[in-house]
Amino acid sequence: MTEFLETMVDKFTFKVATDRLYSDDGLWAMAEGENRVRIGLSDFLQQRSGDVAFAEIKPVGAALARGDELGTIETIKVNIELVSPISGEIVEVNPLMEFEPEHINQDPYSTGWLAIVEAADWEGDSANLIDPHAYFGRMKKEAEEEAGNL
Amino acid sequence: MTGTQRVVIVPCSGIGKTYGTVSREAAYNLTQDLRPEGTKLVALSLLVLGDEQACADVAESPAVTIDGCKLACASKMVAQSGGRIAREVAVLDVYRQHRALKPEGISELNEAGQELAQVLAEELAEFVDDIESQDGEGDHA
Repeated sequence: MTEFLETMVDKFTFKVATDRLYSDDGLWAMAEGENRVRIGLSDFLQQRSGDVAFAEIKPVGAALARGDELGTIETIKVNIELVSPISGEIVEVNPLMEFEPEHINQDPYSTGWLAIVEAADWEGDSANLIDPHAYFGRMKKEAEEEAGNL
Repeated sequence: MTGTQRVVIVPCSGIGKTYGTVSREAAYNLTQDLRPEGTKLVALSLLVLGDEQACADVAESPAVTIDGCKLACASKMVAQSGGRIAREVAVLDVYRQHRALKPEGISELNEAGQELAQVLAEELAEFVDDIESQDGEGDHA
């Protein structure tokens, strides 16, 4: 069962799942068996971005280098390019993204996942990601700055 | 619907939010232009303040709530005030069905946003007609 680090900033509660790694941009990557890595948005990123209207993820078979565009989301506030935290090939896209992208907001660490990538170099790419405690610290600082608490 | 009973329209009160503005524009279009006789606009803020007339309106008539975000304040407040929600609408869901009409602006909506509000108002006008016709059938029974 997933455990979370949690903080409240202003009136908002932000959670960080402890069973995965994070990119600086706020995407998470969770290894699932041999080289398969599930990717999604952190709770902080989805809350800061707003309600998702549309999510367009690159199709199954698309090859990605770390830093490539994995997809885009359009929210009520902004359009965001999602940068892939790893390299590899997309082997599965969350079918909910087509008609129910609100799952990104409702459950970003579970049903709101974006895609599964067959990692080309998980060991190398994961070294560039940050652990949940480090991400939690960065996220909290950023949230507090945005709330004007610092 | 019996006699003077109207459908109560309760939009989002989110000030400074584009989708909240769309909800209010749609409510104005519906209650002032499309179905002024069959609808009544109730300000969400009055329900929050416990205004007697506003609470009585939602308690006595079917309500249509138009929410600007997932917090769904309009729907929650009507329910909390003892109202009967005949239909809940979220502006985001309407936008998903009309992607070309991306609303922008806050105090003044862009053209697409105004069009989205009009589309929503027209959908709700049909819904109000349906309620009226159902009640009309009931009156004759």
